[in-house]
Amino acid sequence: MPKRWIAHLDMDAFYASVELLRYPELRSQAVVVGGRRAHQPEVLPDGSRRFALLRDYAGRGVVTTATYEARAFGVHSALGLMKAAALAPQAILLPADFDEYRKYSRLFKAAVAEMAPLIEDRGIDEIYIDLTEVAGAQDTSPGNPRVGINAIARAIKARVHEATGLTCSIGVTPNKLLAKLCSELEKPDGLTVLTHADIPARIWPLPARRINGIGPKAAARLEAIGIRSIGDLAAADRLRLTDEFGANYAAWLTDAAHGRDNRPVVTHREAKSLSRETTFERDLHPREDRETLGAIFTRLCEQVAADLDRKGYAAKTIGVKLRFDDFSISTRELTLAAHTQDAKIIRQYAGQCLKKQPLQRRIRLLGVRTGNLCRADAVPRASQPESGFASQLILPLSNP
Amino acid sequence: MTLIKISRDELLKPLQAVSGIIERRHTLPILSNVLLIRQAKQISLVATDIEIEITASAQTEAAGEEKSITVGARKLLDILRALPEGSEISLTLQEKRLQLKSAKSRFNLQTLPAEDFPRLAVPDDESSKLSVPQKLLKTMINLVQYAMAQQDIRYYLNGMLMVLDGASLTLVATDGHRLGYIRRELAGDSSPRKEVILPRKTIIELSKLLADTDEPVFVDISANQARFNFGGISLISKLVDGKFPDYTRVIPQDQPKHLRLKRQEILSCLQRAAILTSDKFRGVRWVLSNGSLKIICTNTEQEEAQEELDVDYKGDTLDVGFNVGYLLDVLNNLTVDEIDCGLGDANSSALITVPEKSDFKYVVMPMRI
Repeated sequence: MPKRWIAHLDMDAFYASVELLRYPELRSQAVVVGGRRAHQPEVLPDGSRRFALLRDYAGRGVVTTATYEARAFGVHSALGLMKAAALAPQAILLPADFDEYRKYSRLFKAAVAEMAPLIEDRGIDEIYIDLTEVAGAQDTSPGNPRVGINAIARAIKARVHEATGLTCSIGVTPNKLLAKLCSELEKPDGLTVLTHADIPARIWPLPARRINGIGPKAAARLEAIGIRSIGDLAAADRLRLTDEFGANYAAWLTDAAHGRDNRPVVTHREAKSLSRETTFERDLHPREDRETLGAIFTRLCEQVAADLDRKGYAAKTIGVKLRFDDFSISTRELTLAAHTQDAKIIRQYAGQCLKKQPLQRRIRLLGVRTGNLCRADAVPRASQPESGFASQLILPLSNP
Repeated sequence: MTLIKISRDELLKPLQAVSGIIERRHTLPILSNVLLIRQAKQISLVATDIEIEITASAQTEAAGEEKSITVGARKLLDILRALPEGSEISLTLQEKRLQLKSAKSRFNLQTLPAEDFPRLAVPDDESSKLSVPQKLLKTMINLVQYAMAQQDIRYYLNGMLMVLDGASLTLVATDGHRLGYIRRELAGDSSPRKEVILPRKTIIELSKLLADTDEPVFVDISANQARFNFGGISLISKLVDGKFPDYTRVIPQDQPKHLRLKRQEILSCLQRAAILTSDKFRGVRWVLSNGSLKIICTNTEQEEAQEELDVDYKGDTLDVGFNVGYLLDVLNNLTVDEIDCGLGDANSSALITVPEKSDFKYVVMPMRI
């Protein structure tokens, strides 16, 4: 059996790095991505650009990414922008441009796929790669048993940089769990190759919450019984863990602490649903802000339709999600007679969903979701939606 | 132990016949296997998807010990196809592996026990029997099968109605937009009336497997399954448990407008016009007036196609739309030179028949364009 080599590749400060490609003058400055369109840099008459500063921000957006320079001030993803401004008032604020990030996401994934086809997509900026069967991965030399895998990982990093101009960090280990931990170890632009033998030295000193699957709540409970590091967890009495967390989770915790994980790299996952949602800059009133809401609603439907088209799906269920000013959430959905990718049809049914919602409160968030997906080329012909102005008449078959 | 020694081609033929029903992805791994049954001088191959089971056999010269085993059908098929034509192969069981050898090629394949292979039980209730020349059944199926629904929630439409009555056999298929009907008298004894719905997949498989010969296919219909035996192949299918709608009510009577068309001529016109249709919208307009039938197709890009045929028609003008796919289906599958077309108004169905014959009917509902 060849030695299993699984890589976790994580792009470094992805959104911020993509922005820096556009605005190279911001390199080595604290930059935060998370603003609105209003924070678009202004081009001055002399051709230079004036950027928005974090200290001038007023609103309730959150940080989507911060450069490593901004992280030095304690700014991190998901932090409220106002709070971030208190930590790093001089940091530069840029609006998020998800279309651009998706473009770079496709570029780096395509670059990796040229070298190693077994890729599990874990989101816009991270992937797992099964390198076990990649030519050369098993090569060893007398002085360095990992010479082959090291070379491949370096080559992937170089290819990603060549394709995108961006750096990434890679962890290569015998499984996904360790790989995910290792890609963090030498960020940014890191490369860490570990085997089980390295676990005591490299993994056990890390805090237990770094394991993907131990969240804040579990970490707090572990801490309460004196377990802080992954090493503590590996040494912990199994019965004690079972008492605290139940047999299943305790078994998983012990396995995780010892770096045991057999999950395969899942190269293909059919999407179950596709959705788009947006939080408004101020809460909108269903009646008074009807026009604004309507325009946003139509745009969301068009975006979802474009997503369906790009990913090659057609949807049969259309749903709407609302979050009100008291943070309560309400969703409604409808199932169509036939699959569709058509923005107009999606808008029409999403509109019907909206009519079924209680609309007394102001709305904070609006989302359009499509589910019950089917590959667009596999939609049965009989259920192709007829276009708006034509309709097929049906035979008067008696209902048996 | 040696399971069989046989030529590649002898084994490939029955394997190809049975493997068409194997689903690519299935929750039960054994369903992607083919069951090999060695009995005396023959080897039988069985495939199933739990709804349908197909058995086909190959003969050998030497008699062998009785033995059954299952092995991945796809892999076996791919290996046999890739081996040179006319080569000799041997299948040998070695513990839990099946070894396939041919000249200097050797494959060790995983197996699953034959006992785990799900078989369709043969019912012991009364059955209706008939025998039809394979060619006739194949022709009949092909004349109506394209009208079957696929994945319709009215599950009883995802198949074909088969009616045995007296000495006649009738097949009907409909997807709710169009309906195909074919009836033929059979030689032989008359039998009591029997109506069953055969699943879509069974029909498609039969249409592939039946040969263009006068050799018979023996059909055996019991309460919940149908068996077809022909040319060394046995196909057992569950029946669709449901009631087929009353098709006689949707076949129009006494239509006011009639025209006779040359099949190839109208087919060519429609094929040309269809170039401008899109997957989403396949509508074409028929504009019928004294002596002329115009076929007009426009699409969302404002392109237009127009074809005109001289026809022996006198009467009111009619402007009616159809899904061109539904018309091409019937015209492509008929083999006659001329067809009769009965029309009503823009909201009523069209009836396509064969001149001087009443055994084929195709009803298609118009489209509002």
